[in-house]
Amino acid sequence: MQHIYMPEKISLMEKLKILSAAAKYDVACTSSGTSRKNTGKGMGNCTEAGICHSFSADGRCISLLKILFTNECIYDCKYCLNRISNDVPRASFTPQEICDLVLEFYKRNYIEGLFLSSGILYTPNYTMELIYQTLYKLRYEYSFHGYIHVKAIPGADQEIIEKTGFLADRMSVNLELPTAEGLKALAPNKNRGKILKPMRLVQNRMLENKSELAIYRHAPRFVPAGQSTQMIVGATPETDYQIINVAESLYQKFELKRVFYSAFVRVNEDKLLPVLPGGPPLLREHRLYQADWLLRFYGFQAGELLSEEKPNFNVLLDPKCDWALRHLEQFPVEINRADYYTILRVPGIGPRSAQRIVRARRMGRVGFDDLKRMGVVLKRALYFITCNGHTLYPIKIEEDYITRNLLAVKEKLPPGAGGQTTYRQLSLFDDCQALYSVGNKA
Amino acid sequence: MDGIITVFVCEDSLDGIFTGVYDAWDSRLGHKNVRLEICQEEELELFCQYRPVETDREKAEKVFRTIERRMGEGAITHICQAAASADGRKADAIYRMVVLGLSLERGSEVVNCLTYGPVSTVMDLSQKAWHEAHKLMGFLRFSELQSGVLYGPVRPVHQVLSFLAPYFADRLRHENWLIHDVGREEMAVHRADMGWILVRDEALDAERLKWVSEKEARFQELWKCFHKTIAVEERINRSLQRQMLSLRFRSFMPEFADDGGRRT
Repeated sequence: MQHIYMPEKISLMEKLKILSAAAKYDVACTSSGTSRKNTGKGMGNCTEAGICHSFSADGRCISLLKILFTNECIYDCKYCLNRISNDVPRASFTPQEICDLVLEFYKRNYIEGLFLSSGILYTPNYTMELIYQTLYKLRYEYSFHGYIHVKAIPGADQEIIEKTGFLADRMSVNLELPTAEGLKALAPNKNRGKILKPMRLVQNRMLENKSELAIYRHAPRFVPAGQSTQMIVGATPETDYQIINVAESLYQKFELKRVFYSAFVRVNEDKLLPVLPGGPPLLREHRLYQADWLLRFYGFQAGELLSEEKPNFNVLLDPKCDWALRHLEQFPVEINRADYYTILRVPGIGPRSAQRIVRARRMGRVGFDDLKRMGVVLKRALYFITCNGHTLYPIKIEEDYITRNLLAVKEKLPPGAGGQTTYRQLSLFDDCQALYSVGNKA
Repeated sequence: MDGIITVFVCEDSLDGIFTGVYDAWDSRLGHKNVRLEICQEEELELFCQYRPVETDREKAEKVFRTIERRMGEGAITHICQAAASADGRKADAIYRMVVLGLSLERGSEVVNCLTYGPVSTVMDLSQKAWHEAHKLMGFLRFSELQSGVLYGPVRPVHQVLSFLAPYFADRLRHENWLIHDVGREEMAVHRADMGWILVRDEALDAERLKWVSEKEARFQELWKCFHKTIAVEERINRSLQRQMLSLRFRSFMPEFADDGGRRT
């Protein structure tokens, strides 16, 4: 490189503070998807399932050292804290500093690896080159075999993205906002085409790599843990239906491993950004993740969950219950006979318990007690299943009746996801007291 | 003798339980007249005859190999994991599962017999023990001592050292490290580029464990700083944090040290 960027003299602690705070709105902190043994040289390995090393005060998992290379940026995206028009303290790491942090943290088992993103310094290519150098140093100078998740910077040359991909486990390009119109309004320097280009590139290269690996088992692996993306939910007026349709096509057409959703947090004062009085739309984010799971592991299609006429998820019921209630003609399902995918569609049964059911019934008839032990949530499932021809209690297969009962068993939302819709059970006595106090005043 | 149950009391270890399985079978008293228990547990019952089992490595290995051969890798893995659990029901459940497994034409199907109580118990305990081991793979913290040795204390419910050690032996292959089960006074000791061994009843010099290396404090501070700034203020959610990372793990984690390892 011709010009070398000299970061200002500030302490490592200061830099870490600035550059981790700048990276915290990135959602993905997973370390899954690769399984790799230590090669005998250097430090580290990877496990397929991924490992959480800590949880921050917002309840999110910390698996990777999530930092930006630099928070200098030439772009002016409305929703971003690091946009050029913001007056925030700026800092940049050197590749050496990142290596030190990663290795020392990794040795103490604080982290599973590195998540490296960056603001755009000078040009996309320049930034991508810095990221590449850091990864090269980690992988080759220090023989680090831990997990590395890296951002592909839209606008950078194909060649440099490819080089970087051979050093990383996962690459991601942020979709930022679900639709092209949203992007145009809030990120004036970006456009949809520019974002999808590196995504397609990574996809194609992964495909080629697969055939290379089939021929040469020891060929270098390109992004073995796949690619992911994320989008901000609630900053622009898209419906849930639009969002999950986008997610579905990303899974199908771009073969993404994961799509992450991030509830919009208003970090900048800007007239183009919405004001959400209830704080970030956490319940909506939760429902989208539930639907995302249904798409990936339960064989559902976006069109089954929502439609043009019903474009948003039910606040009160999870998407699977909601779907089941609209398709009561398919229930009840006989646990001892139905096939795996039919069982999987019953509310209260997940992939794990469905697999257990299918395995266990080969060895004998399955009853309700067994289901409980296999991890089926009977208080939800009981309205949709029979065991050996009987339901657990005498029930009516009727939408109103089941809805009422499902709402009575409280859905176990992650704490805090209730957001603006926390309900309180009213009791007779509350009412009395209210009346009483009104009476007193009068 | 009829109606009287013979209880085989085994040592709380994989070898102990497997020796118990061997002896109980070998006693020819009939499966319904025997029971396996882990020693020092509950008071004695009436109409039971207690027979202590002396752990025998050879018998245990025979049982291990038989299970592996007849019931396959899946079954032996689950049984070993269940044997590491802290639940007292494990010994008898393992015995029943082995009896069932040997009676089946295809022994490997035994892991699918989830409608049979003992099998579902073994699978459940296995999952619990493995789950804790998996959590500790993330939540364990090493600190670097002056000698360069990495010291990682844990206080697990289940006996997970034998799962943690091989995992870290691969990951930190060129380091000297020591994982210390503080509650049980057991240690897994690894020497760089060699292997690891399990050490019992060996006292550690508590004073020397406090002599950490020069760099240690600095990187702990950096980590704490990272841990704090990475949280999004608008989404602070302590109860979710507590659900995901329960308080019992926090006492050895530097990021929670400032609040006595309890809250945050």
